[in-house]
Amino acid sequence: MIHPLLPNQLQKTQETMRMAAEFILRPISRKYDKAEHEPPVEMEQLNQAAAAQKETAMGDDSVKSMDLKGRNLWAVISLEQMCWGDVGLFLARPGTGLGNAAISAVGNPDQKSKWGKRWASMAITEPGAGSDSKNISTTAVLDGDEWVINGEKIYVTDGDRCDCVVVWATLNKAMGKTAIRSFIVEKGTPGFSVARLEKKLGIRASDTATLIFDNCRIPRENLLGGKEEVEMDADAAKKSFGGAMQTFDNTRPMVAGMAIGLGQAALDMTRALLAEEGYEDNFGASMGQQTAIQYELEMLEAELEAARLLVYKSAWMMDNKMPNSKEASMGKAKAGRIGNRISLKCVEICSMQGFSEDHLLEKFSRDSKILDIFEGTQQIQQLIVARQVLNKSSADLK
Amino acid sequence: MQDYKTEHPFDIAMSEEQQMTWDMLRKFAETEMRPIARDAEAAGRPSDELLGKMKDLDLISLGIPEAYGGMEIAQDATSQALALEALAYGDLSLAMSLSLPMLTAKIITEHGSEEQKKELLKQYSDGSMFHVGLGINNSSIMGNASNSTVLVDESGEELILNGIKTGIAFAEEATSFLISATSESGETNLYVLDKDTEGLEITSKEFMGLKGLPLSEINLSNCKIKTSQKLGGHNYSINFQELLDSSRIGMSAMALGVCQAILDYVVPYTNERVAFDEPISNRQSVAFLVADMAIEIEAMRLMVYKAAALKDIGADFHKQASLTHRFAAHHGMKIGTDGVQLLGGHGFTHEHPVELWYRNLRAIGIFEAGAGV
Repeated sequence: MIHPLLPNQLQKTQETMRMAAEFILRPISRKYDKAEHEPPVEMEQLNQAAAAQKETAMGDDSVKSMDLKGRNLWAVISLEQMCWGDVGLFLARPGTGLGNAAISAVGNPDQKSKWGKRWASMAITEPGAGSDSKNISTTAVLDGDEWVINGEKIYVTDGDRCDCVVVWATLNKAMGKTAIRSFIVEKGTPGFSVARLEKKLGIRASDTATLIFDNCRIPRENLLGGKEEVEMDADAAKKSFGGAMQTFDNTRPMVAGMAIGLGQAALDMTRALLAEEGYEDNFGASMGQQTAIQYELEMLEAELEAARLLVYKSAWMMDNKMPNSKEASMGKAKAGRIGNRISLKCVEICSMQGFSEDHLLEKFSRDSKILDIFEGTQQIQQLIVARQVLNKSSADLK
Repeated sequence: MQDYKTEHPFDIAMSEEQQMTWDMLRKFAETEMRPIARDAEAAGRPSDELLGKMKDLDLISLGIPEAYGGMEIAQDATSQALALEALAYGDLSLAMSLSLPMLTAKIITEHGSEEQKKELLKQYSDGSMFHVGLGINNSSIMGNASNSTVLVDESGEELILNGIKTGIAFAEEATSFLISATSESGETNLYVLDKDTEGLEITSKEFMGLKGLPLSEINLSNCKIKTSQKLGGHNYSINFQELLDSSRIGMSAMALGVCQAILDYVVPYTNERVAFDEPISNRQSVAFLVADMAIEIEAMRLMVYKAAALKDIGADFHKQASLTHRFAAHHGMKIGTDGVQLLGGHGFTHEHPVELWYRNLRAIGIFEAGAGV
């Protein structure tokens, strides 16, 4: 049955998370935008609120029956609301990072029980390899019962505050993507250090670290998924890197959801500021009857709603075990660019008030830019969608 | 955040019945409509053969009550949106020559008085398609769509209508017209006018698109009608905004069908067309246009589904219909223009259908009440 509407239970989740965002995140939004690199201690509260909500939602029988299937849509909706509050703070909430998604996706039972509850960040990008992650230079060499990791990782979200890092490294750079593996490296391991923290355009509440691995020795069992040797069989090799990339099919709807939350926040704040000067929406009116602002806001609202539905669909597909690589990229492409466009347009609409640090609109417009970059840039998403729609290999469509 | 309530989980899968209808109508669109779209443009109207086949689909009589010879099978808005999308995949003008009588019959069924239903619905059941011309489109630029450029004076014993309506399909074939008119109090309603009403003048008009459909302008000067000729009877008030919103979902669904046709045309074209020794789709500048098309089409589809689903659960759908319509107008035209662009000079000629789709898509956002859910 075609019914792309949120059932009452999910609406309850939405309301609860919105309240948490409004009363926990918003009041400290500006504080940590200014105090870059200072850990936001208030964030424990948000974790508690989220845990309580999850318990109520999952304890409710009516939700239980559907929600074993609906976990990803639930997650997207929750995080959309938290990011309505503040994207930077949401990323800085202690306890869960992108590394946790990788551990739960490909970790073995021992790894899951040992590391599942620890805060794990994800280290992929290097100074010489960003979107082309198969081109990384960080190496991992097996020496007795230990892996020796050497290399430099940049732009690691939560890289300073986390308990451990999931590090991508190559067993043999000449072998390309088939030789790439991920490893869990615990904080405090000799040879592993945080070199510096970036100063950024936005999401300043979230720490973004450069990590150095200098003959860093970790236990053999910290290899996360994949074999210890490079597979010679092309199919098996393809699968192993494909497996790593598949994590993105799960995380892209989440990051896209963040952009939706931010876009909605910018629209809501713009309307609130405009209402003080007597503004009212005029949906569905002809051009001759709308002001430029009414026209702009209706278009932006339409774009946001469209992006939201794409993202919900990609999460719904995950929940129903359908392959969603194309849809995840569609949602990320659309949400990333629309979140950015909306937040910048809202600053423009609100003129000097939008540009002013008296309000958060200018902050939203700085925060939004990263959402069209990390977890795959706009252009990488277009590339993925284009290859699938046109049925092209990465060799044909570079 | 939402102003609707539902217990049903989030879902985007078609029901079995919807899938069957979809498959049937898509096939009809591809085999019966698409191949003759150019001929219909040249003739300015669909062939009688096609009209016969369209009648046989029984889509018009589906919702008409049994008492008036119809099948009385209630259709939900999502199923109707799916049907419209499938038909428009063939050709927009030809699809509208079916969606217009469907919409007109639906409006009469929902709002007509007993007498009006008896008089007008029975003819649909007997196989007539165009005996009622639907006059909703305004010719003024600055006015609001929810008001009519035809004004009705309701103060006397007779109603007096004055003004111009445009974009009325099959006006020559019609024996009566359903015209929207705004009263002094600002309320907009529909009125049934006989074709031979004194002061009613029909002028045939040409437009840049929808050329497979005969379109006319109607000029009303001091047309006097009885109070009972107001649709629903003289005390009836139609929710005109809701009627407009329903048809905007319908027009958006039609835009979606055309856009899907464009995507399905440019994918093989750009894969086969070679320039600089390789398919042009091997270049990002081409491939990314196609990717964006696919993204916006999928988004448009979900917007249409959501607007229709809101209507189906009885929630307020004005905002969603407006957003969907705005989205379909904006992105529909973008897809239309990119479709031509991807074919280069070839796209500009009649050798390919993309220039036809381009012209037809310009109607989206402009042409009101050409289809409804």
